[in-house]
Amino acid sequence: MTPKRLTKAALSPSLSGENKSMLWVIATLSVAALPQLALMPLHLATACTLPVLWRIFAQLKQWQPLPSWIRFTAVGLALVSLAISYGGLFGRRASVSLLTIMLALKLLECHRVRDARLVVSFSFFLCTTQFLFTQGLIMPLYGAITVLIGLVALAQLQRVEAFSCTATTPKSSAPLMAELGFSLRLLLLALPVCIAFFVLFPRWGSPLWGVPETTLDARSGLSDSMSPGSIENLFMDDSTAFRVEFNSTAPGQAELYWRGPVFWRYDGRTWSSSFYGRNIVAPSLPEETETSWRYSVQLEPNERNWLFALDYPTAAPRDARITLDFQLLQRQPVTQLMQYSMTSNPNFIDSPELQMTLRSMALELPPELNPKTREMMEQWRQETPQDGPLIRRVLDWFNQEQFHYALNAPLLGSQAIDSFLFNTRTGYCEHYAAAFTVMMRMAGIPARIVTGYQGGWYNAAANYFLIRQSDAHAWSEVWLEGSGWTRVDPTAAVSPLRVERGSIDAIDQPRHMLDFIWIRSMRNSMDAMEKRWNTWVIDYNHQRQSKLFEGLGLDQMRPIGLISLLFAILAVLGLILLPLLLRTRGPSSRDPLQHVWQKFLKRLKQAGYPARPSQGAKELAAAAAVELPEQAEHIFHISDLYNRFRYASEPPALQELRQAVKKFKPGRSG
Amino acid sequence: MTSQALTADRIKSSTGLGARFNHWILERVRQRRGSPTLPFTLEYRHIYVMPTMFGVWFGVLLATTLIGGLNFNNNMALLIGFLLAAIAQLTTLLAYRNLVGMELSSVRAEAAFVGETAHFRVYLRNPEARHRFALQLNSAFASDTSDIEANETAVLMLKQKTTQRGWLEMQPFSIENRFPLGMFRAWSVIIPASKCLIYPRPNPNPPTLPRSGRGDEGMARVGEGEHFHGLRKYRPGDALRSIAWRASARHDNLFTREYESPQQEACELNWYLMKENSVEEKLSILTAWILKAERQLIPYSLELPTDALPASLGPEHRDACLKLLALFGQ
Repeated sequence: MTPKRLTKAALSPSLSGENKSMLWVIATLSVAALPQLALMPLHLATACTLPVLWRIFAQLKQWQPLPSWIRFTAVGLALVSLAISYGGLFGRRASVSLLTIMLALKLLECHRVRDARLVVSFSFFLCTTQFLFTQGLIMPLYGAITVLIGLVALAQLQRVEAFSCTATTPKSSAPLMAELGFSLRLLLLALPVCIAFFVLFPRWGSPLWGVPETTLDARSGLSDSMSPGSIENLFMDDSTAFRVEFNSTAPGQAELYWRGPVFWRYDGRTWSSSFYGRNIVAPSLPEETETSWRYSVQLEPNERNWLFALDYPTAAPRDARITLDFQLLQRQPVTQLMQYSMTSNPNFIDSPELQMTLRSMALELPPELNPKTREMMEQWRQETPQDGPLIRRVLDWFNQEQFHYALNAPLLGSQAIDSFLFNTRTGYCEHYAAAFTVMMRMAGIPARIVTGYQGGWYNAAANYFLIRQSDAHAWSEVWLEGSGWTRVDPTAAVSPLRVERGSIDAIDQPRHMLDFIWIRSMRNSMDAMEKRWNTWVIDYNHQRQSKLFEGLGLDQMRPIGLISLLFAILAVLGLILLPLLLRTRGPSSRDPLQHVWQKFLKRLKQAGYPARPSQGAKELAAAAAVELPEQAEHIFHISDLYNRFRYASEPPALQELRQAVKKFKPGRSG
Repeated sequence: MTSQALTADRIKSSTGLGARFNHWILERVRQRRGSPTLPFTLEYRHIYVMPTMFGVWFGVLLATTLIGGLNFNNNMALLIGFLLAAIAQLTTLLAYRNLVGMELSSVRAEAAFVGETAHFRVYLRNPEARHRFALQLNSAFASDTSDIEANETAVLMLKQKTTQRGWLEMQPFSIENRFPLGMFRAWSVIIPASKCLIYPRPNPNPPTLPRSGRGDEGMARVGEGEHFHGLRKYRPGDALRSIAWRASARHDNLFTREYESPQQEACELNWYLMKENSVEEKLSILTAWILKAERQLIPYSLELPTDALPASLGPEHRDACLKLLALFGQ
């Protein structure tokens, strides 16, 4: 190697033959990348796994490194397939995948301590990027395991580096558990400092740069259109949509209609929102009264703009607006857990007057579709000219005819409503809401569809409602003279259980193989823990930090104040931890005899006679006796006792020696 | 120590900022503390702790994570970031603790010839009941690492190049460790007072040994040789073939035959009888002669302008002669 090529990387100690440390490095990366792999397309996940497997075998079987053209080709291929799969290399998902795949490929040319350290520290980074996607209760466990394994890897690498100047690295005989135990101790010792920092480190009130951009992450949840089957799919999903804690009295189960996307436009199959509905702000908002419901919502990230509230919200949370059709829209998609407080007044008349444009939009139907329904509705309109009785009649018809509330509704043809109402008669809430709305429009009553969630599971122990994706629901609203937009839930006419007990009780088919009642109830109880975690850790932010210190009587905590408090707490922690860490142990403290003897030596030393390591007890006594003649007898007594304890076949009680040493007070001599 | 690693250390010690910092520390230690009297115990004021390159890099990565976490108020990222930062901070204490209390008991070095490597053996004693991990000695030219068990002493070797005869002063070195994660380095600088005697380089092709001279004045040397000297009692370690079996059979004891070298074979190494001009060349040849005479078991005397030693043989005589040569004119 010529001197010019002596780069720093070339000088870092080599890892060849260092199987143990390298395997720990690989383990760190594998654990850190695991959640990422689960979400990647299959071919990319394979591309990440192959280099890791190659590296494990190469390490164990002493394979030669791959030629550079193979490595470069692999990197090129990975970049191209990544760009194709994600439509670019930017965006949260794509860039984290890029990091994962590059780290995996780095293993192909990781032959020195420096490279291995790079992989481990980037694995920690990769671990934190996972939290952009989920921060559930399982994630701290994942983080802790990654850190534990990574620390072992770093410790091993440090040993390799330190012993690179000698011929061999002494094999540390410590078993696997001891090494993990060491990391665990390190982690636990660091935990108090970590918590102090977490609580006290000043948070930023608003981000310095943009929030993460909207992603195309497939999240289940309500979407901005509705077609047959779209809500039914959510029924399978047990994940949490949001949690609600009431500060006032909670409404009854049948009143828990959590309003989400509202749809006006219908093309014969799919319902979608209207431009007006989304963009015009509500002209008047309800007043807050004594009987209003006050509650706070903890919304899980759904990558959409909708916030959910009961009818009718009196004020929008920060950065959100209330639209004409009382959707609650956040300016940015909800990509993180979000908490907001709401007040809803149910006794409010939405739009006592209906504008012409809105009325015509609420009556619009694709022409020439569903002729049988249209014929029936025209006939009923003639028989029942008033709006109220007509609605009653339709609902009664749903209730009395053989309609079924069930999953897996048969496919509907192009005349969707006709075939639903007169042939299949089996469907989920969106079928009934759609059919009812269309029927109303045919009868000349303005109607629209509201989607959202209905009901919720009340956790009595923690006093909150848990709303899952499976609680997703769709219902109708009709505009009536005098009462404005009025909620009508045709599903309730078919299956009253749906509204009273929730969707899972209303449908008695099991949804999948593991759908047991006890699993559901266990998950429900576990959720209280998750809620607490969300409240105290995930959603701890600037406002909550200020609030916390106001609660402690430390209002107006400026960042300076927080930092000084932080350092005060660190100092206290330091005072507790430092002596533990820096305590020195005298030689052989485990041998009680030696312990007493050391005490004796210490006293001798104080008296100006330090013992030399080469001296045995007898020689020491003889020499010390010359130095301290007035103590000679005592010294000989002690050394004699010591020897008897050490070597006599029947040693006397240790207490005697202890006493003798205790009495030995030669005092300090100049 | 491979040659590559040697180059590595030299490059490490000559890179800009780090070199200047090390130099500054060294000067500071030289002024404040000077050479320690051994045994020397490392106390808190002798120990420095600074991040390594990896530590700095890790810090940058952590700062990035934390700023990102703060910006997006991603509390899990903040938790992990703070945890790793706290652990990194903790390792400064652990590195310090791994070093503090160690005792530098003594440094020894055996004489070497110019061109050979001088070996300084550093005795590190661990007076406490805890294991010390991967303690490293680093000088500008060499390093050595060892674990040290509780209450044990380890001997670490520092090599040094020899270029001229005389006393070779030991280079300043550091006792350091990067335990446990390699992010921080705790070290103490030692400016040792130890020296190593360096003999002149033996001339590879010396003239033949001067066998003339005052050899017959010397005493007959008892030991190995060609002429029978007498019998003495057997001592353990005597070669079997030198046992006088027949004589031993007549007594209860074993007897060993002793031989002697003839007096005439002693040689005189005399500065004034040498033809070479240069001082160093003369010293080099004299060195080679001494080694040769020792190998051939010929007693030799040495006469220099400054000193003279009577004819003798054996390691002590050899070392005395070589020392005279090494320090000649100094």
